[in-house]
This record gives sequence, C-alpha cells and structure tokens, in this order.
Amino acid sequence: MAETYGVGIGWRPEIAGFVAGLPGLRFAEVVAESVHAHGELPPGLGDLIERGVTVVPHGVRLSLGGAEPVDPQRVRHLAEVAERVRAPLVSEHIAFVRAGGVEAGHLLPLPRSREAVDAVVANVRRTQAELAVPLALEPIAALFDWPDDELSEADFLTEILDRTGAGLLLDVANVYANARNRGTDPLELLDELPLDRVAYVHVAGGAEHDGLYHDTHSHATPQPVLDLVGELCRRHRPPALMLERDGDYPPAAELRAELDAIAHAAGYPEVTAA
Amino acid sequence: MSERDLAARQAELVAALTSGKPVPQGFDAPRVEAARVALLRKRAGEVSRQWPMLAASFGAGFKREFARWAAARPTRGSLRDGWDMARELRLTGAAAEELAGREVSMRYDGAAAPRPRRSPAIRSAGGAVVLQIAGRVRVIRRAR
Repeated sequence: MAETYGVGIGWRPEIAGFVAGLPGLRFAEVVAESVHAHGELPPGLGDLIERGVTVVPHGVRLSLGGAEPVDPQRVRHLAEVAERVRAPLVSEHIAFVRAGGVEAGHLLPLPRSREAVDAVVANVRRTQAELAVPLALEPIAALFDWPDDELSEADFLTEILDRTGAGLLLDVANVYANARNRGTDPLELLDELPLDRVAYVHVAGGAEHDGLYHDTHSHATPQPVLDLVGELCRRHRPPALMLERDGDYPPAAELRAELDAIAHAAGYPEVTAA
Repeated sequence: MSERDLAARQAELVAALTSGKPVPQGFDAPRVEAARVALLRKRAGEVSRQWPMLAASFGAGFKREFARWAAARPTRGSLRDGWDMARELRLTGAAAEELAGREVSMRYDGAAAPRPRRSPAIRSAGGAVVLQIAGRVRVIRRAR
C-alpha cells in the first residue's frame, strides 16, 4: 500500500459496533470468505467503506500452498469481493488448508523446499491473473516444521515474493510464535526479510499451552510482540499495522488500550481518539 | 520431491491431523499432536458459536466431547459438524429445539451442503413442536 494508514483492526461481526466507534480508523481487514460477492455486505461493513475506511479482503481458504491448482471459483470470489469493497489490495497465506479432498480446518505449513516454492508460485500467479489489485502474502505461525526443509525461512519467503512480485503481509505475532517455538531469534528473521516489501502488518495475542506458544488471536497481545512491532518499525515502518482478534472479545476499553499500545509501539497516532 | 509427492505428503499430513491416521515419518510427532489437539479445540469453539444450545447441553464438557466425536471426522464446516453431531445425540430441551429449528429451516441430507427450505416444515423436539412457515420459525411448547 503506497498510502500510510496507521493502525487498523480486523473487522468481525461481533465487534462491528466497536470498530464503527473508532474515530481515527482508516484501515480494516475483513475475512474474504465471510463477504458475499454480490449480496448485501455484512451489517456495519458498508458504513465503514462509505466513511472512507479502506477495507482489505483477507482470504483464508485459497490454499495457495496446495500441490494442486487453486480452485478458480475461490479465486473469482476473492477478486469479486475486492471489487465489492473497493479494496486497493487483497491478502492470503503461504500455507495449504486441504489435501486429497479433505479440509484441514486450519492453515498448515509447507516444506521449505524448491518444489513447494514452485507450487506456491504457480498458484499465486494463477490468482494474480484474476485479480485487478495487488496480492500480499502472509507467512503463517506453525507448531511444527517439515522434516526436509532445504531453505531458511527468509530465503523461502524472499524467493516466493521475488518470483511473484507479491507484497508481504508480515504477522509479527507469527514471527514471535515461530521463533519462540523453534528456539530462534525473531530479530534475525526481521533482519533477513525484505521489509520494503511489507504491505501491512498483523499483530495478535496468543497463549502458552503445554510448553508451546499458540497464536490464538483470542488473548491480549503480549509485550514481546509489541516490542517486536517497535523493532520492525525502527528498521522499516510499514504503512499499516492491524490488530487481529478472533474470539473471547474483551471489554471495549481493553481493545482500545491494545490498539493504542500498537500505535505507541509503531509511532503512529491513536485511532481511538478523533 | 515431485509435485505428485508433495500432494501425497500433504494428504498424509492432513489425514494425520483430521482422521486419526499415523503422523508421517520424519515429523516431530508430539508437535503434530499438539497441532491436532489445537485444531480440535478451534473447531469446538466454532461449533459452539454456531450451535450454542448444543454446546450448553454438555456444560463445561463440550470441548472434550466434541474433540472425541470429531477426532476422526474432518471438518465439513461448523454448521454441518454441529448438525451431524446433534443428529447422533438424544437431545432434550433447548438443544433439541435448536436442532429442530435448523431441520425445519433447511434441507440437509447429511451429504451435501444444507439448503433453505421453500415449503413449510414441522418437527417435534422433546415437549415442543417447531414449525416453519414462509421462512419464520415458531416453537410451540406444551403447557405444563
């Protein structure tokens, strides 16, 4: 995104009222699969768009990392939703969500191999061919890796971005979760990624469970993730950062405080005040 | 690894996570197990939002019961997961009415995606009768 949007939020029907009440909001994301391409928009989302808030459709079920070609119908839906909400870009994940005709119900990691890079690149190109706007790709949080990784995470991601021209949707909570669960340094990944390609950034909370950190989106954003936002912005401040919350919604005051904490960490104005 | 191999290996991994199949060779089995359990927890949360009365009928034990039911059943979306589970149970009270409300509103054969009914429908649910006329659902409870 060429323009600077500051702090945004993932729009969800459960918090539509809260989002509508954010006076400084200029940017929100909506799960693409939750929007009808031609029918009515979810209540509240249309008002946001009319108000001039930029809304970006975020796909979760394309399965760009699947070995089989992306479903053209799903791609068409994403393209139509982008047009419907007048989005300047759309986003999806570097992951697969189904295989052998079975839905995993979740975003699953790919082996960091040349073959997997080829599969993602082919699907991203098929998708880009149908889109009228740019596509940004999000690396996921994963609790496990494949046994036969050939490439470092940074090389794997950079090669996909270079070969497709796609933008990077960097989720700092995913960077934190993966580093913590692998016992690596999240700053090393930040130093190796092409941060000038970051279209926007996700921030979210999680929780530890049986020794593993789970990227739940249903807990408050922990301080180390906010610190990582600061580290990222010191290196290259992205045009937009947004909070992802998907359940166990806290009282409005807590959500506002979380948005303000992201704004402070990034050095952007608070969106909770006019 | 050819693309065919990648497809087969992705399918093996999905089967391990959703159908109780063994963890493919070389993977960190406890980590894959943690992902499997997290996935079932996530599905249980989605079903309880879609089927609040079904979930409430289990009290605090719903996530555990759902995880047991769903362990070898890959998701078909939270609407159908909850519907399939509810049909296998002898539900009473609000959970039975919730199921009956869905049954009279949509036609669902257990195989294809549910479709809205065009004609009126009626179901009994424990002590109540649930009927749908012109898309409106009414619950008629027997006087005590």
